[in-house]
Amino acid sequence: MKNNKLRVMIAVAMLSSISFVLMLFNFPLPALPPFLKVDFSDVPALIAAITMGPVAGILVALFKNVLYWFFSGSPTGVPVGEMANFATSILFMLPVYAIYRKVSNTKGLAIGLLVGILAMAIGMSVLNYAVFLPMYTYFLNMPALTGSALRDTIVLGILPFNLIKGLLLSAIIIVLFKTMKSWLDKQRAQFS
Amino acid sequence: MMEKMIFGRYIPGDSFVHKLDPRSKLVFVFLFIAIVFLANNAVTYAVILAFTLVTILLSRIRLYFLINGLKPILFLLIFTFLLHIFFTKEGDLLWKWQFIEVYEEGLRQGIFISIRFLVLVFVTSILTLTTSPISITDGMEVLLNPFKRFKLPVHELALMMSISLRFIPTLMDETDKILKAQMARGSDISTGSIKERIKAVVPLLIPLFVSAFKRAEDLAVAMEVRGYRGGEGRTRYRQLKWDWRDSLVIVTLGILALLLWWLRS
Repeated sequence: MKNNKLRVMIAVAMLSSISFVLMLFNFPLPALPPFLKVDFSDVPALIAAITMGPVAGILVALFKNVLYWFFSGSPTGVPVGEMANFATSILFMLPVYAIYRKVSNTKGLAIGLLVGILAMAIGMSVLNYAVFLPMYTYFLNMPALTGSALRDTIVLGILPFNLIKGLLLSAIIIVLFKTMKSWLDKQRAQFS
Repeated sequence: MMEKMIFGRYIPGDSFVHKLDPRSKLVFVFLFIAIVFLANNAVTYAVILAFTLVTILLSRIRLYFLINGLKPILFLLIFTFLLHIFFTKEGDLLWKWQFIEVYEEGLRQGIFISIRFLVLVFVTSILTLTTSPISITDGMEVLLNPFKRFKLPVHELALMMSISLRFIPTLMDETDKILKAQMARGSDISTGSIKERIKAVVPLLIPLFVSAFKRAEDLAVAMEVRGYRGGEGRTRYRQLKWDWRDSLVIVTLGILALLLWWLRS
């Protein structure tokens, strides 16, 4: 008589809180624009995806951003940064989930993370080019970045930032999974 | 340190704004965000600023809390202000010092953007300062109800949101405790090379995840024992009431929108 749906819902809520707390500990990288910040809030989202399926992971990513918006407000009023963060989390998480589900060992994880980093870096460069940077400048009423300025921001800012962020995240995730492998497998068995 | 990080702290009170229904406050904030973008000249920005000041007065929130909440994003505020000063080169030249040139249009845009920035942050913080997170969630659940027709699990989302809100302070305490426990064992998270720091983060995360799943299990059992079976036909402990104040606020906002529409250039 185990109500799994309720259990999943509550676990997602708890992981969202952790994710939000981790998001508060964000820090900018030296030599990159201040709106690009690294945080480890994607780790709980990935744990949720791996133990409870992709929808749970996406929900954690959604809730952490809604909470973050609640608690810190957004300079542009419209939460552009939060939307971008949400997109980044999903782009990083889904490839790792898909590959780790097929190959559940360190090798599968490493390949998944590599694909995740690439998906995040390339996907965010494209999305920033087409959506987020124009939106950001529009809401701050800045002169729109065009042509080479836009390309420079992406090639020198967004792309290296996401690569570095992905590498930092991957380092933590690999160490974490090595230690927590048996516990994670147990949770996975319980929820599936 | 933990205390300072929570910007959206609820301060109990019984001002006009505190007494409003969370639904009307949420509708107010979302509409206000849109309305602010109507302002595009000195008069309209002055109107918006005055309106916000009246709202602050009505909420009887001490200015100290609002300013305090501004600290984390002060850097961004100055950054965008300077961006405008240096990169908008239209209008008359006002001031020149070596390679630094300040133009009239740049200064104007910089001031306008800073006002918009401040006004948006103030209004959203008034929402979170005068409304407890749990009533915000209640209000959102009701406002999103129409979307149930499109198979959006509104009740479930609101439940997850309120559980998540409920456990943020608990988890912050726990993070603090684990941090101190690890420090007592000689681990140090705030110094060292990046590699060492990453190694120090992992022993912090593991206990957090394990206890989160344990708590989820306990809470699920507790809810089932009390007969929780989803949102269908569930009665509410906290009732929402819409009264004349709420209607007044929405009407005032409508008038503000019309006024700005009329005054904008």
